[in-house]
Amino acid sequence: MSNILLDEAPLLELETMIGFGGDVKEGLKVHPDKQFIIYPVGCTVVIEDISSKSQEFFSGHTNNVSCITVSRSGKYVASGQVTHPGFKADMYLWDFYERCAVFHFKPMHHNKVEALAISPSDMYLVSLGGQDDGSVCVWNIGTGDAICGAPAQVMSAGCTRTIAYFNHSDDKFVTGGDNTLRVWDLDVGARKVKPTEVNVGQIKRNINCIEVDSEDAFFYCGTTTGDIMMVNTKSNNFQKHGPTKERFSLGVTALCLLKTGDFLVGSGCGDVQIVNEKFKPTTKKQKVEGAVTSIALRGSGHQFFVGTSKCNIYRFDFAEFTQKLITTCHHHMVNDIVFPHNSSDLVITCSSEDIRIWNTNDCKELLRIVQPNKTCNALAIMKDGASIITGWDDGKIRAFSPESGSLLYIVEHSYGASTTALATTTDNKRIVSGTNLGHVVVWDVPDPMYLRTLKKGSTVNVTKHDLLKEHKAQVTCIKINMNDTECVTSSIDGSCIIWDLLGLKRKMMIRVNTLFQYTCYGPDDYHIITTGTDRKIGYWEISDGSMIREVEGSLSGSVNCMDISGHTFVSGGDDKLVKLWNYDQGTVQYIGKGHSAAITGVKIAPSGPYDSKPKFIISVSKDGAILKWRFPDMNVDY
Amino acid sequence: MGDPWNENIYSLIQQPAQQQQKQPRHFSKFKSSMRDEVTKTKAEYKTMGPAKVQTRPPNEFLKKHEKEPKLPEKMKFKYPNEERRKPPVPKRDEQPILGLKTNKNFITQNAIENIMAVPKKPEKNYADTRKGDKHPLEPSGLEPKFVHKKDFGKTPGYLERRKAELQRAQDEYNSYIAEHFRRGAMKQLNEDEREDILNGLKSNWELLHHEYQGLSVVTDTAPKKNRKERMEAEMKQLERDIESIEKHKIIYIAN
Repeated sequence: MSNILLDEAPLLELETMIGFGGDVKEGLKVHPDKQFIIYPVGCTVVIEDISSKSQEFFSGHTNNVSCITVSRSGKYVASGQVTHPGFKADMYLWDFYERCAVFHFKPMHHNKVEALAISPSDMYLVSLGGQDDGSVCVWNIGTGDAICGAPAQVMSAGCTRTIAYFNHSDDKFVTGGDNTLRVWDLDVGARKVKPTEVNVGQIKRNINCIEVDSEDAFFYCGTTTGDIMMVNTKSNNFQKHGPTKERFSLGVTALCLLKTGDFLVGSGCGDVQIVNEKFKPTTKKQKVEGAVTSIALRGSGHQFFVGTSKCNIYRFDFAEFTQKLITTCHHHMVNDIVFPHNSSDLVITCSSEDIRIWNTNDCKELLRIVQPNKTCNALAIMKDGASIITGWDDGKIRAFSPESGSLLYIVEHSYGASTTALATTTDNKRIVSGTNLGHVVVWDVPDPMYLRTLKKGSTVNVTKHDLLKEHKAQVTCIKINMNDTECVTSSIDGSCIIWDLLGLKRKMMIRVNTLFQYTCYGPDDYHIITTGTDRKIGYWEISDGSMIREVEGSLSGSVNCMDISGHTFVSGGDDKLVKLWNYDQGTVQYIGKGHSAAITGVKIAPSGPYDSKPKFIISVSKDGAILKWRFPDMNVDY
Repeated sequence: MGDPWNENIYSLIQQPAQQQQKQPRHFSKFKSSMRDEVTKTKAEYKTMGPAKVQTRPPNEFLKKHEKEPKLPEKMKFKYPNEERRKPPVPKRDEQPILGLKTNKNFITQNAIENIMAVPKKPEKNYADTRKGDKHPLEPSGLEPKFVHKKDFGKTPGYLERRKAELQRAQDEYNSYIAEHFRRGAMKQLNEDEREDILNGLKSNWELLHHEYQGLSVVTDTAPKKNRKERMEAEMKQLERDIESIEKHKIIYIAN
C-alpha cells in the first residue's frame, strides 16, 4: 500500500533553522542594506534579519552550497554548489528583494563552484570552477547566458581559490590561488577574457582571499603563509608584503579592508586582528573558536560579523573590539536528539565532540558539554531530568549533570567498541545500552543518595549490569515501553528483539531482510513500528511478532528515524524529507522540505498537559542543521 | 554551580521575565495652579506705569515701629488651678495664730448625733459555709430583682385577655348584624347614597340660606315674621340632619 503522494501532501511550515555552513569560504555576508545577514546552511541559503532573527530561505540547490556572493547594489545574491564527482555544479542567481530565483544557470563547472563575484554595476557574474574544473566563466546577469570562459590558471600553477571584482570597473577582476595571481580584462564585444599574470618576483604564496581597495589602485591578498601581499593594479607588480615577523598562524583566511586603510584579518587559528597600513598588527585582537572563514562588515564596519569553521557566527563591535557569539550550531553530523520528559522548552542534541542543550523558543544554546576527539552516538535523559546519559564511540557511557555539565558517572566498558543506542527506564534506576557488536546491556544506575555522599568531583564507575547477547550486529535503537516491563531493540543484522526487562530474556523476535534503523512503540504499546534501509515502515504485533502492515516510507533512501505522538508519527531519512504520518491510516499527511542532508533524528515535541496538540517537530541532519517545524493543525486525536 | 547531583534539566527552562508594570505618569497636583501663577506673574513689571493705589495723606506719615507687629497687653501670671491651690506656706516673719480654743461640747454633740441617727440597715448577705463566710447578696443573683422578671415591660396577661374578649364581642356583634342584613332586616346605606343625601341636604340648606339672606331687613308684619321663623326652623332642622349623617359613617335603615 504505497500511497506516498509527495506532490499532493501539504508542506510543513519551517519555523527556524539552527545552522550555519561555517566551512564555506566567505559564506557569511551582510546585505548592503545592513538589515540582513546571508549565509549557507547545507543546500539552502538563509537570509536572517539581524534584529528580529526571522529567517527566509533560498532553496533550490541539490547539494551543499559552496559559495555565496551579494551584489553591491544588494539586488542580487548568487550562490554555487558542489555536486558528485563527474557532474556539473549548479549555480543560482537570486533576487534578494523578491526572494526568488532569477536564473538557474546552465551547469558549467565540474564538481564545484569555487567562488563567485558580481561586477560593481550588476552586469556580469564571474564564476570560478573548483579543483577539477579550473576555469573562469563570465555570465551576463541580464540574460543569464555565458559570455566567455577561460582556464583560470596556467598548467603549472595549482588550484585557483578566490575571485574579486574591481570596485569601479565592470571588466576587471582578480583571481588568486596556489601560486597564481591574475588580473583579468573582460572584452565583452570580442567575448574574451584576457589574463595578466601578476609579477610577484621571488616570493611564493598561496592566496586565500583578495580585497581590492576603494580607488582600485591596489589590491591585497591574504595568504596561507600568514601575511598580506599588496599589488599595484597599474603595473600589476607586487609592491610589498607583511607582517614579516609575526605572521598569522595557519594563514590569513579572511581579509577586510577598512575605510581607515587598516585591515581586518581573520586567521586559520581563530585570531581576528586589526593590522595597520604598514602591515603591522595592532593590539586590537580577539580569539574565536575555529578558523575564521568569513568577515562581513555591516555598513562601513562599525560592526562586523565573523563566521568560523566551527560554525559559529560572532558579532564584533569595532570601536571596543568586543565579540559576541550570536549563532552557533553543530559542525558535524547530529547523531541524536532528545527532549526532556514532558518539556518542549529544551532539546538536547549530540554530535561529534559535543552535546548541546538548546532553548527551543529562541533557539539559543544553553549548555555545551565538550569531550574532545570523541563522538557521541546516542543520547538519553533520565525522566527526573537529573542526568543526561550519553553513549560514545569509545565504548563508554557517560552521565552528565544537566546544568553544570559535569561528569556524574561513567560506564568504562559497555562491551563493543562503541555505544550506539541508549534508553532509560522511567524509575530512573536502569539504563539499557546497545553496542556496535550487538550487545544489549542493562545497567543499574548508582543511587543518587549514595552518590551525594561521595567527595565532590569524584566520578563513579558503574559496573553492575546484565548482558543480553542475541543481536549479531550493531544495535541501532532501543525503546522501553511505558511501564518498564519490556524493551524493543533494533539491529542492522535484520532483527528486532522484544526483551522482557523483568526476567531479562528474549520474548519475541522479528526477522526481516533489512538493516533496521529505528523502531517505535505504537500507541498503547500493543504494536511496534520499524524502519530500515528497505525504505519500508512495518507495523508489528508485539504479542506474536506478526506483521500487521507495511507501508512505503520513502521513494529513495532509507528511513533513519521516527517519533510517535498519539496517533501521529513522523519519519525522516536519506530522502531529506520529514514526513508526518497518520498511524491508523498509514498515510503521509504532511511533508517537510528543507533539509540539505540525510535526516538522522526527528522528534515531536512533547505536548504539555494543556496543549491540544504538539507544538512543533524538530529534526536534525547530517550537515549539523537543526530544523524546527510547526506542527500542523490536524483533525486527529493526539 | 552547586552540587552536580542536585541539578535538574528543568531548571534550565527560562521563566518568562516578569513584565514590569509601568506606573502611570506622575502629574503634579500643583500643575494648574503653578501654571496660572507663572502666567499671571510673568512680566508683571511690563505695565503702563506704576500701579494706581491710594497713598496715605501726608499727616499720617509712617511712624516709628509702626510696621512691627502689635503684641497683646502683658497679663499677670495666673495658675490655671488657682482656686484649688493650697494657701501659701507662711512667711518667715509671720506669727502663727495662738490661743485658739473651741467651745464645742464634744460629748453632748456626739450623744445628740447618735440619738438622732437613723439606724443603719443591716447588710444583705448570705452565708455559704457552716462557719458563716458571708458574701453580699445583691451581686450573687440569689435576690430576685424586679427588672429581671420574665414579664417585665410586657403588657399584663389580663389586659390581653380583656382585649381579646372585646374583640370577640365586637366580632360577634358584627357577625350578628351581618346575619341580620342577610335576612333583609335592615339595609345599610352605602357610601354613595350617603354622600348624595349629604350633598342634597347641603344644597337645600344653601338654597334656604340664600332665600333667608334675601329677606327684607325689617320684619314688620306678622307674615314676614312667620316666614322668617319657619325658615330658621327649617334650616336648623337641616343642620341637625347634616350633623347626624356626617357623624355616623354607617347608617342602617330600619324597615
